[in-house]
Amino acid sequence: MCTIIEFKNVNKEYKSGDHILKAMNNVNFTIDSGEFVVILGPSGAGKSTLLNLLGGLDSVTSGEIIVNNQHVESFDDNQLTEYRAKNVGFIFQFYNLIPNLTALENVELMKDIVKVNIDGLSVLDSVGLKDHANQFPAQLSGGEQQRVSIARAVAKQPTMLLCDEPTGALDSKTGVLILNLLQSMSNNQNTTVVIVTHNAILAEAADKVIRIKNGQIESIVVNESPKMGTDLDW
Amino acid sequence: MLAKKMLRDISKHKAQFISIFLMAFLGVFVFSGVGGESVGLEVNVNDFYNETNLADGWIYSYGINDLFLDQINALGATTEMERQYVVDSVANFDNDPDVTLHFVENNTISKFYLLEGDKFDINDENGVWLDKSFADAKGLKVGDNISFEFEGHVIEKEIRGLGYSPEYVYHASSASVIPDFNKIGFAYLSNKAFPGDNISYNVLEVKFDGTSENYNDLLSYHMDGYYSSFVERSQHSSVSQFADEMNQHRMMGDIFPVVFILIAMLILLTTMTRIITHQRMQIGILKASGFKNHSIILHYVSYGFWLVLIGSILGLILGPMTLPQLFYPSMSATYKLPSWNPAWSMNFVYVAVLMVLMSLAVSYYSVKSISDEKPADTIRPKSPKVSTSGFIEKLDIWKHLSFNARWNWRDAKRNKFRALMTIIGVIGCSALLVCAFGMYDGMNDLKEWEYNQINHYDSKLVIEENATDSQIDEVAEAVNGDKLMESAIEIESDSVKKSGSLTVLNNTDLVTPTDYDWNKVEIADDEVSISQKMAEMLDVGVGDKVKWHIMGSDKWVNTTIDKIHADPISQGFIMSADKLEDLDLNYTPTSIVTVEHVVNDYGGVKAANSMKNMTGSWDELTESMWLLIYILIFFASLLAVIVLYNLGLLSFTEIEREIATLKVLGFKTGALRKLLLTQNLWFTAIGFILGLPVGYIILDIMWKSSGDSFYILPSISLSNFLLAAAITFALSILVNLMFSRKIKKLDMVESLKSGE
Repeated sequence: MCTIIEFKNVNKEYKSGDHILKAMNNVNFTIDSGEFVVILGPSGAGKSTLLNLLGGLDSVTSGEIIVNNQHVESFDDNQLTEYRAKNVGFIFQFYNLIPNLTALENVELMKDIVKVNIDGLSVLDSVGLKDHANQFPAQLSGGEQQRVSIARAVAKQPTMLLCDEPTGALDSKTGVLILNLLQSMSNNQNTTVVIVTHNAILAEAADKVIRIKNGQIESIVVNESPKMGTDLDW
Repeated sequence: MLAKKMLRDISKHKAQFISIFLMAFLGVFVFSGVGGESVGLEVNVNDFYNETNLADGWIYSYGINDLFLDQINALGATTEMERQYVVDSVANFDNDPDVTLHFVENNTISKFYLLEGDKFDINDENGVWLDKSFADAKGLKVGDNISFEFEGHVIEKEIRGLGYSPEYVYHASSASVIPDFNKIGFAYLSNKAFPGDNISYNVLEVKFDGTSENYNDLLSYHMDGYYSSFVERSQHSSVSQFADEMNQHRMMGDIFPVVFILIAMLILLTTMTRIITHQRMQIGILKASGFKNHSIILHYVSYGFWLVLIGSILGLILGPMTLPQLFYPSMSATYKLPSWNPAWSMNFVYVAVLMVLMSLAVSYYSVKSISDEKPADTIRPKSPKVSTSGFIEKLDIWKHLSFNARWNWRDAKRNKFRALMTIIGVIGCSALLVCAFGMYDGMNDLKEWEYNQINHYDSKLVIEENATDSQIDEVAEAVNGDKLMESAIEIESDSVKKSGSLTVLNNTDLVTPTDYDWNKVEIADDEVSISQKMAEMLDVGVGDKVKWHIMGSDKWVNTTIDKIHADPISQGFIMSADKLEDLDLNYTPTSIVTVEHVVNDYGGVKAANSMKNMTGSWDELTESMWLLIYILIFFASLLAVIVLYNLGLLSFTEIEREIATLKVLGFKTGALRKLLLTQNLWFTAIGFILGLPVGYIILDIMWKSSGDSFYILPSISLSNFLLAAAITFALSILVNLMFSRKIKKLDMVESLKSGE
């Protein structure tokens, strides 16, 4: 296994007037290719900041972020857009599907961003939604919408799936299904999955758990025998 | 605290509130500004007429004596009368200017309006009260002497005063449309200043009760044969010329501002509805925290109220103050009125009030419908509208459409109201543009048609009324010209009576009647041709019989129409001299036209007028029309920008989250801008295409209301059509550019968070 994501001495400061807020304080960690990682922390710990930096939505104050041998911290706006398009498959808490487009069209939308041949139907099939291909987001349940959003994210074959509270808006039963789906993506297709959450239960399913608190790494634990999503106690 | 919220909301949604303010302001501004101009003309001229006690009618006769006065008095309807001796004189300057002298009995009717010097004195034997414009052109001052020559007399008088006269608001020689005050003037003198022993009054100015038609009937019934003609006020050349001008302004002042304010209102109302709908959750929160319904309604209603109120009031004040000032300078060169002030009409206030009331009503109903819901429902976002697949999606092409096309199609389908408003806004703007450019073309066409296609002479010599036949023939031979007779006539069909003009041509190549497509119409010696507009007004065609007479003569004749021609500025008959004499009417040439450029003076000729002069006069006369056209184009463009920006902004806030998501997913700013541009361009295209017929209809209404003598069909040249299209689309793209910065600055992080 090789390292695919590396944070080196990452600092992030927000200025509001004279006050300087240190949202990320000297953060270091690595993630291997195909790993299933959960980044855990209470609200205000710096989860969102970490996600924004990793996802290419914000830039660091100092330090290095190396993804796939690219120095993300040195990118300008255009390069960041390119980086997001090729490397990051976002999965949001609230799905953020395009309401105007059907499930299938939401997936095939990725053709406009990356030059890969996407067979939308087979990707939808892989998340079990082939029969709902022509329905609009508003006609789907929350779990189904999240599956479409996973399909959309994996369709472009990104370096990593970056998930922000992917089960946060779902009931426990549906949440388990989504987690299982993400786990199987990681195990079977060797996709790197990074989940950012405050829900400690998800940690039991992870290969690696990174705990953060007050903008700093609290602990990094490698889980020798991660549980399957279905075995978790919600 | 709610007031604080309101101020913060307003400053947060600045652009939208500014556009609400601008809409209210511009709508009322243009409406009351253009309206104030035409109402102002009316008020100014009527004030002038009243103040100077302009005559209701003029009875022309010879040697009006006391018996005549008694008889006129005995008609019963006459309330005031006064005799004058009016005579054309030549003043002692190098260019022999024509000055019309009025020797008056006491000057109580059509009074001289004094601007400088002493008041008119009826006992002054040595003084003259002179036309101010003429005096200015000649550099004459009060106290200077001036002498006039007329009918064998030479008189020299001292200028006592300078001023205007209600009978000379418009004063041009018969040879030119535009007054040249270096060549023409008028003067008022006491009858005691008359050089001879016996003054022979030739004009009786009268004021009377009842309609002028009644008075005319009375006069012709009781006094037939004792007077030569009667001219009522509306037929007086100065009065009617200014009335025509006012009509022109009124028709522009009626149609455009109405179209304009309708669009402004529409956009205003849409924006207000939208802003309130966007505040739905907040309304829920306010309700949940215990605010009473009516204080919430009051809060939201007051949002737009103040802005619309202030905007309307500002428009109401600034419109009449500024816009008329753009028109008046060019008009005051041609028309002489003591004051040029814009005026108000209560209509402006009604429109402003309507604007405010409608904005109140609209905000009231949109808040009401939200606050009537249970707070529990309101606090949750409205469940999203479900898209559906229509037949287009079922077609095979759909699969091949780009994401851009699909997204835009569905977005428009889901937001039909917004789409409709954008399209209506564009329709309005493009209709205004097409109409303005159509007017531009129409005015140019008219000039080309009249002065190039129909008339081909270089000079037109106006024959004096008392010129003899041999004099006329001599001149015609000397300049190698053709004789022409033009006179005012009245035509009657079964139902309608219309005044028009008669043109008698003698096989001349210099005046060639055409049809509407500018093809020559050959009128044979024994044929009578009627102009198309006159035929339409009388509802007659080829083969129909009409009855007509020459103005000033009682002799009615019947004529069958043989041909139809078209003419842009003169409606009536064209026939040959032979035909005229066949009808037992006198052929009396009124002018001679020639290809030669005539500068010499000939006996029996009143004035020589070159083609260049005439087109120049036409240009000057239409100056204010041009100005209006430019103003229209400007405001229509401004309106377009506000409409597109405003609706664009509304839709942008609605799809902000989607745009942010797309951006996070890796769409480039350019691609997103194209997404919005595509929609804008489509709506603009649809609106422009639909706006064409609307503009055409407005143009048609305008030309139709431009007076009986004008005949212009609405049309627009290809180049101006393309220009109108180019402006519309350029504005659409310009507005789109304004959004590209917003896309760049869009906060992606936010879109990940909020769970709408």
